[in-house]
Amino acid sequence: MNLTLRDFKLRYRNSVLGFFWSLLNPLLMMVIFSIVFSFLFREGVSDYPVFVLPPILLWRFFSVSTMYSLDTITGNYQLVTKIYFPRWLLVLSSGLANLLGSSLEFVACFPLLIIFGMKLNYSLLSVPLIIIEMFILILGLSLALSSLNLFYRDFRQIWEIALQAGFYFSPIFYSPSIIPSNISFEYSLNPLTQAVESIRDAMYYGVFPSVENFAFVLLAGGVALLIGVFFFRRAERKFGDAV
Amino acid sequence: MVSFSSEELKENLGTRFEMNAAIVEDLWKAYRIPHKKKESILENIASFLDMFESRRLDYEDFWAVKGVSLRIRKGESLGIMGVNGSGKSTLLKLIAGTIRPTRGKIDVRGKIAPILELGLGFHPELTVRDNVKIYASIMGLKNREIKNRMESILKFAELERFGDAKLKNLSSGMQMRLGFAVAIESNPDLFVIDEALAVGDIGFQTKCLDKFRDFQRNGCSIVLVSQSPAMISDFCHSALIMSRGEVVASGDARSISTKYITLTSPA
Repeated sequence: MNLTLRDFKLRYRNSVLGFFWSLLNPLLMMVIFSIVFSFLFREGVSDYPVFVLPPILLWRFFSVSTMYSLDTITGNYQLVTKIYFPRWLLVLSSGLANLLGSSLEFVACFPLLIIFGMKLNYSLLSVPLIIIEMFILILGLSLALSSLNLFYRDFRQIWEIALQAGFYFSPIFYSPSIIPSNISFEYSLNPLTQAVESIRDAMYYGVFPSVENFAFVLLAGGVALLIGVFFFRRAERKFGDAV
Repeated sequence: MVSFSSEELKENLGTRFEMNAAIVEDLWKAYRIPHKKKESILENIASFLDMFESRRLDYEDFWAVKGVSLRIRKGESLGIMGVNGSGKSTLLKLIAGTIRPTRGKIDVRGKIAPILELGLGFHPELTVRDNVKIYASIMGLKNREIKNRMESILKFAELERFGDAKLKNLSSGMQMRLGFAVAIESNPDLFVIDEALAVGDIGFQTKCLDKFRDFQRNGCSIVLVSQSPAMISDFCHSALIMSRGEVVASGDARSISTKYITLTSPA
């Protein structure tokens, strides 16, 4: 618990301004995408800001958390080399700090979304559930990433590219209906696609996300967690030597 | 026929378990010394291809600890001496659990407070108080206990005025004092100390040693690595000398430290 608070404090450097900066990023992205797609391309999506902002926030939760997770073991070498405690606590606390940060971002953007035309629906109640199942997925990946980065210090570059690709391969700033139907199955295998569809259902279309979408992300999270735990337990024996 | 009630049995087991604070059996630790340093995926691929071509391994094993066995009784203080690179610190890290042995067994009973190298996993960007909080919670103190002990920790470290200073702004002696203060306040069963006291001034050293004597009386065990035979013979019950990863002599602290002096004095 104290580790989580520490990570949160370090992330925002103890300042309200720090949180403000982290909020500015998704808002700017929203503005840019709104300009490009509703004015330049005339996509024909109404209330485009409401269409694009929730997926951006969700994507940021995913990308920022996993990027931070790369450093959870290497960045805490002072602790790891000096005292023994369950190492996964470091990954968990970093994840929880990001969960807290992202939840606050959602809350802070809420009034803005209403101004831009988001309707108050019961479907909004499913948003916390979507965030939590994303958290499970993130935790699984974080366990794997944090141990991989310890042994291969250039893993950061690879993950950065993967994230960039993931951003375009997920329907964040466009509607999945533009995907040609012959590859739509392969496209839907991306758990981020399904999570983005869920959050858009809940916050833009005002309907509860489909059970299939929700279950698929949960399943992906479970698989990621299994793989992550497996990786982490194998790597943990060598943490003290490799850091 | 002798029968034990379960109570008696538990008591018997209890005393047996309480006798030893730590048991180390036939401990080995190897480090790989690569001929080429490779930390990235590209380097790994390159060296793999290289190895394939030259048909030889590109690393050597270095055994830092070779078959060490020892037993630390509850309330006993063990001193470890040896020249630089003899495996003392590796042994302590293994006991503290920050690295795992290649072979062998370590069994530590109770809470262990390691003071390895200088400082204790403190974060330079956080304040002294925040660092104390994190370290104490890793040591298993509850938030309430931490709050109660905060002032006495700062007082022992003589850092009352610096509670809200960032750790990076403290001198290395101050950081070491803080480390000792937190470790002492966390009430461990076993202290593992790696030459750390050497940094403190004489006043602080005396204060720590006094505190450790209190702990000794209360049944706390201590493993102390030191380059000072005087400190070991003064403070420890038993001692051992390490050389090239092996225990070359062990026995009562006084005779072993005398032996160490003769061993290391230039012939």
